Amino acid sequence: MDRRLAALLTEKFGERLLTPVRQRYDESEIRVALANATDTLRTLHDDPALRFEMLIDLCGVDTGEEMQVVYHLSSSTSGDWLRVIVPGLDRTAPRIASATFMWPGAEWMEREAYDMFGIIFEGNRDLRRIYMPDDYRSFPLRKDFYLADDASRSPAAGVRNMERAGTPADATAATVLRKSPGV
Amino acid sequence: MTQQMRPSLDDPRVAIPADSTWYEPAPIPQTERQAEFLTLREGEMFVNMGPQHPSTHGVLRVIIKVNGEKVVDLDPVLGYLHRGVEKLCENADYHQAICYTDPLEYVASLFCEAAPVAAFEKLMDVDVPRRAQYIRVLTMELNRIASHTLFQGWMALDLGGITPILWAFIERDEIVDMLAALTGQKLLYNYYRIGGVNGDLNHEFMSRLGTWMSRAAAQIDSNLALINENEIFVRRTRGLGVLDAKTALKMGVTGPNLRASGVPYDLRRDRPYLVYPELEFDVPTRDEGDSLARYLVRMDEIKQSIRIIDQVLHEMPDGPVMAKLPRLLRPRPGRAFGAVEGPRGVYGTYAISDGTDQPFRMRIHDPSFVHLQLVGPLTKGNLIADTMAVMASLDPVMGGVDK
Amino acid sequence: MAWNRLTPAGRALAVLLPVLAIGGGLTTVLLATFGGAIAATIGANLPIVRFLVAAVVTFLISVPVAFLLIYMEMKIIALMNLRIGPDRIGPAGAVMSVVHGLKVLMKEDYTPPSVDVPVFTLAPVVVYLASFMTLLVIPFAPELTSMGFELGLLYFFAIGGLSVVGLMMAGWSSFNKYSLLGGIRAAAQAISYEIPLTLSVVGIVILTGTLSLPKIVAAQDGSFLDWFIFRQPLAAIIFFIAITAEANRTPFDNAEADQEIVAGFATEYSGMRFGFFFFAEYVNVFVVSALFSAVFLGGSNPPIHVDLHPQILIDLSALGIGLPLIAGIAPVLGTLLFAAPLWFASTRVKGWQALIGGFLIFGGVSTAAIGLWAFVMLPPVASLIWFLMKTFALVFTFVWMRGTLPRARIDQLMGFAWKWLLPASLLNIFATAFAVLIAGR
Repeated sequence: MDRRLAALLTEKFGERLLTPVRQRYDESEIRVALANATDTLRTLHDDPALRFEMLIDLCGVDTGEEMQVVYHLSSSTSGDWLRVIVPGLDRTAPRIASATFMWPGAEWMEREAYDMFGIIFEGNRDLRRIYMPDDYRSFPLRKDFYLADDASRSPAAGVRNMERAGTPADATAATVLRKSPGV
Repeated sequence: MTQQMRPSLDDPRVAIPADSTWYEPAPIPQTERQAEFLTLREGEMFVNMGPQHPSTHGVLRVIIKVNGEKVVDLDPVLGYLHRGVEKLCENADYHQAICYTDPLEYVASLFCEAAPVAAFEKLMDVDVPRRAQYIRVLTMELNRIASHTLFQGWMALDLGGITPILWAFIERDEIVDMLAALTGQKLLYNYYRIGGVNGDLNHEFMSRLGTWMSRAAAQIDSNLALINENEIFVRRTRGLGVLDAKTALKMGVTGPNLRASGVPYDLRRDRPYLVYPELEFDVPTRDEGDSLARYLVRMDEIKQSIRIIDQVLHEMPDGPVMAKLPRLLRPRPGRAFGAVEGPRGVYGTYAISDGTDQPFRMRIHDPSFVHLQLVGPLTKGNLIADTMAVMASLDPVMGGVDK
Repeated sequence: MAWNRLTPAGRALAVLLPVLAIGGGLTTVLLATFGGAIAATIGANLPIVRFLVAAVVTFLISVPVAFLLIYMEMKIIALMNLRIGPDRIGPAGAVMSVVHGLKVLMKEDYTPPSVDVPVFTLAPVVVYLASFMTLLVIPFAPELTSMGFELGLLYFFAIGGLSVVGLMMAGWSSFNKYSLLGGIRAAAQAISYEIPLTLSVVGIVILTGTLSLPKIVAAQDGSFLDWFIFRQPLAAIIFFIAITAEANRTPFDNAEADQEIVAGFATEYSGMRFGFFFFAEYVNVFVVSALFSAVFLGGSNPPIHVDLHPQILIDLSALGIGLPLIAGIAPVLGTLLFAAPLWFASTRVKGWQALIGGFLIFGGVSTAAIGLWAFVMLPPVASLIWFLMKTFALVFTFVWMRGTLPRARIDQLMGFAWKWLLPASLLNIFATAFAVLIAGR
């Protein structure tokens, strides 16, 4: 736990943080709003006091109510780790600005998040399916995607529902299997 | 009731068109980048490598746009090995999830276990007994050596040398057999548990390890002598696919590939886990950033791993190897990112718990996935043969890339 | 019916015997009638007959030579790789390569749709033809040269270069990009290395004044210091590198680099058509090794001439009726002689085992004795053995290189040929010519 980092982050971002800097285990976590995401990432990367110049991981999260994009940043100079959560993406049409302007290496991770959740990263030059075939229509990691074991629990009560041919807009509250709005 | 005759490919009457203009239809570009890739200029053609190809390290498909022998552009196509491990883990409880992550990177599967175990232990606030921590370090370093020796053989094989891989397999086989004596499996060990390891070190493992350690350094040196000074090998890898430190950081490169570009970033030292802070080892780096540097950094790491194993064997305490834990694990709601430094880079697992016995979301980060992005930028303008050399030096494993 | 009670072998005999009897009678009658005319025709056209016989014999030995080389490669590379290699079929797996040959014969001979069928079918034939035709001029021994004509060396380069046409045909007609790349690589490589290859032997031609391979070998008569590898060392190095590239061997096997372009020109081939490429490669290795040993290693000349003045003359005809008796009794006595120590050595050796062992040892010893006798008494045999020893030492070097070296990149390969080998071979020619001008031959 690094108190200095928490203080620094609070001082730098202040109002922009949705919740206070959370530190648990050996990790720090901040939450920023969708509108501030790009600026925050840029500051984290460029600020000489912070210098989080490595993007370790980028992933999407579907809480059942909303979409989130989570960045794990690391600094190769100080060894600090930081988790940046951008919550509140619309579940029917999730859109966020791409991080490829700063980390070209985020391109494939964003493609993966698009492939699995349907999150559209504006500014990614190559946003297409990466694992699933090009003609695949559903987004497997969303909480309204059923596995074969869940098929009996699905509203259509059949395996056909596994690969629903539809857009995120088709997903209704009733089809979501598991919700954890708090996380 | 007459049965409808359906045409079958086994039917000799079904003719396959023997037309010399029998091409697949061109794919429809979906993005700006793909449209650019699919446009052929004068003298260019596509060469499709994979998913069945001798040197793509698994089922990777690479579409290469070539002009003669020169690679103009390159587009890897993934997903042939996609198993949906993240989704499967969300439908398994915390113990079961570890088994799913095991076969991700079959070359170094202990690291694929170590990352989720680290994340889950954080979620549950478990203190791992010290002996178990030492055992984890010991087995991980052994697995790192096994992975790097295999890399050495692969690298030579992709450059056309057939002998080094069989020599390298001596070491890998011995380590794999050793770990099999300890864990019961040769490839997918499934050895780490939340709160410790599956079983204490046994006699067969220890005696084999002792025998191996007494000759390991000399044996590995002789393997290295087989290829390191080879003029053809050096000329084919030196100055090829140069990755400078700035680009490497921007691309999210980690592990030996980053250290070969001169950035001394090693999780074992910069974000210590287990008992690594108490152990003494160097972080080998090189400044060249080319394929040869990536190869040599890995070879230096083998020596550091032997050094670590030596210390671990001397300092390992007695005690339990498993923490006391309830049978059904229900961690508090929260998020944790467990990361370990593997033979290819940072293996990470991001786990979200919502208070039930199953992870709400489990994200698996594999370094090979990131490194495979570099094959395109690093081989543009080189020859087809260099694609193989660069890909081998980045050392991706498709099981991890495709998840 | 008696026919129904016959065994299959009996039925075969019942059919064959009358056919043989009638056929034999007819042949006798025909020979008696036209024998003189046939003999006269053969006598009149002796060169043609000689050529036909030589070509057939060369063709027939090319396949066993390929088998032998394939076995050698499998076994030697296995030893280098710390493997066992083939060990199931035949003693130490020696028949494995024959089984490989049978295997490719039995595989489906598939012609993919949309290949250029005539060219696709002809390509392996052209490649194989080119490599076995070069065997014709190899001087195995002074008396054992199929075609010892004056332009042997030139013929060798001309026909050897023909195999590239076959590789290009295969690459072009296969309708496969790997094949195309492989064919073009093969062509580029062969054209580049053909030039230093040919230029490197010009020095020797200047020294000997002939292009005939038997005469070049004869010019190296004397001690091993007369071999051209010591008189033309630069030429020998250039020649060796160039033939490695010419035979598509590691480190210059870019035309079929399996890590890059799968199998190059042979990607779309299967069955015996692939077998032709496969055999041609090994026949090529043998041929280039033989050429190197003929041109640079003194061919069939021994390293040092030792005049044994052999006086062991056995006049077999003096034995009379004793000859068949000795021929009949010697194996039995020999077997017993060698079986006895085996049987007495250990109580665990059973009688039949000792007999088999004795028979095998006797076979080996007698073969060795006859071979030694032939080596001492018959000069062609001695020459042939020297020649084959040198050739197989070179074949071993090629196999060794394959087990040891990675592959050079295609641009390094071409750069090496044009920037280093070509100037070096020109330098060699000028130095040799200058030396001949100053000092005479």
